[in-house]
Amino acid sequence: MKAAFAFLLFAASAAGAATFTDEEARRIATHGPWPAPWSADPSNRVSGNKNAIDLGERLFFERRLSVNGEISCSSCHLPERNWTDGRPRAVGLKEVDRNAPSLVNVRYHHWFGWDGAHDSLWAQSINPILDPRELGMSAASVAKLLREDKDLSCRYRKTYASAPAADDERILVDAAKALAAFQETLVSGRTAFDEFRDALARGDQAAMSRYPEAAQRGLKLFVGKGACDMCHAGPALTNGEFHDTGIPFFVRPGEVDPGRYGGIKKLLADPMNLLGPYNDDAKRSTAIGTRHVSLEQRNFGEFKVPSLRNLESSMPYMHNGSLASLRDVVKHYSEINPDRLHSDGEAILKPLHLSDGEIADLVAFLETLSDGGGQYKRRPFPEDCR
Amino acid sequence: MRALLFAFLAIATGTQACELPGGPAQKAQSGKYLVLYRTQPAPLKVGQHFVLEFAVCPAPDSVRVDATMPEHRHGMNYRPTVTATGEGRYKAEGLMFHMAGRWELVFELRSGGKTERVAQSIRLE
Repeated sequence: MKAAFAFLLFAASAAGAATFTDEEARRIATHGPWPAPWSADPSNRVSGNKNAIDLGERLFFERRLSVNGEISCSSCHLPERNWTDGRPRAVGLKEVDRNAPSLVNVRYHHWFGWDGAHDSLWAQSINPILDPRELGMSAASVAKLLREDKDLSCRYRKTYASAPAADDERILVDAAKALAAFQETLVSGRTAFDEFRDALARGDQAAMSRYPEAAQRGLKLFVGKGACDMCHAGPALTNGEFHDTGIPFFVRPGEVDPGRYGGIKKLLADPMNLLGPYNDDAKRSTAIGTRHVSLEQRNFGEFKVPSLRNLESSMPYMHNGSLASLRDVVKHYSEINPDRLHSDGEAILKPLHLSDGEIADLVAFLETLSDGGGQYKRRPFPEDCR
Repeated sequence: MRALLFAFLAIATGTQACELPGGPAQKAQSGKYLVLYRTQPAPLKVGQHFVLEFAVCPAPDSVRVDATMPEHRHGMNYRPTVTATGEGRYKAEGLMFHMAGRWELVFELRSGGKTERVAQSIRLE
């Protein structure tokens, strides 16, 4: 027993901390600083507005925003579960076909939803309200709630400087813009990785040594052999775009989820997109992606690259929640079958053939991207509005 | 990356001087064409849209701009539009490099029924 223990100790210390080349250090530096700078969304005139955030927070937890009065946005986006629900596929009034994506850091995204069918956070926020499988409401029922509930009506008036008007669709969009203003405040905190990244940038060896050795080795794989940072780029660890990662996209026998291909079609047909009349920015300055997005056959089966921040508490993983743990995700990329990719000749993903130790190191690194939770504190509720 | 050229620096290409006023520019050349270009913003970042301002000498009849990642065998997720701003100068909007690595920026220049490609390699971290 003693001999075995001594061997394990030797093996652990033999692995040691990683050293980084200049190129690796430059690549690591691109994942910060954190929190990343952010500016208010010009397409939403109440983005960053305190009263809108307040109204949006109340609507987010408001069960009367569902047709049966029993569920709310927070039923699938739970603060204590990194704003997701822990299920493979979300369940509103019925089960939907995809995993509930986390809302943390959603303000940094430029496409919304696994298929990017929406180009603004407020347009995305309308989708679950109206989807008959989610909250099942209509523009008329949302408008009625905001007109008739004294507290919500008061908060609407404080936010928009006028009482809810007769136009139901306008009120629905305004409710979604308040919901977006609230979701923009959900930002993850600093992590052990951020401390290491900053220490590496300033050459602070003492601070660097506090980062676990296994995580350092995992980080080296992340920016090296794994090349994970090609898609999980930047401070939010996502390029915000779409890729086919070889996850099956059959939702039930004979029916497939078209992913980004369907998302682009929905986006371009959506009157609520940034080219439409509800964009508050006359210059359409954030509509560049919508104006130029290109529908290609290769978009079929592509899904959005998720942020890796606070990943540890977002399980299960992938667009359909089919992978239960971080280890399963890393193993998926280690053993990926290129023949299963529907990427029209692209040559991005190939099996990494990682050893068990490398898999453990990558998982150790991914775990250091979490802030430990508890960033969000819900304010006392209810609070009278005058 | 090729050598930086500076504002108002003129380069003789046959009988025509080529310039891209407004700041430093990059240079790409192939066959009879010289392209001076700059991106806004610069440097480029992964997953961020950018605008391309460029001058082509001699001015072609028409211009297309595209970009690919040759090693990955894919292009951009967006189709850029090119607007002529006069005197052989252009502005392309809607470009985005969505992955780190080597991109090839391609100018397709058409004149007198013949198309020539001027390509420039750009590495993004």
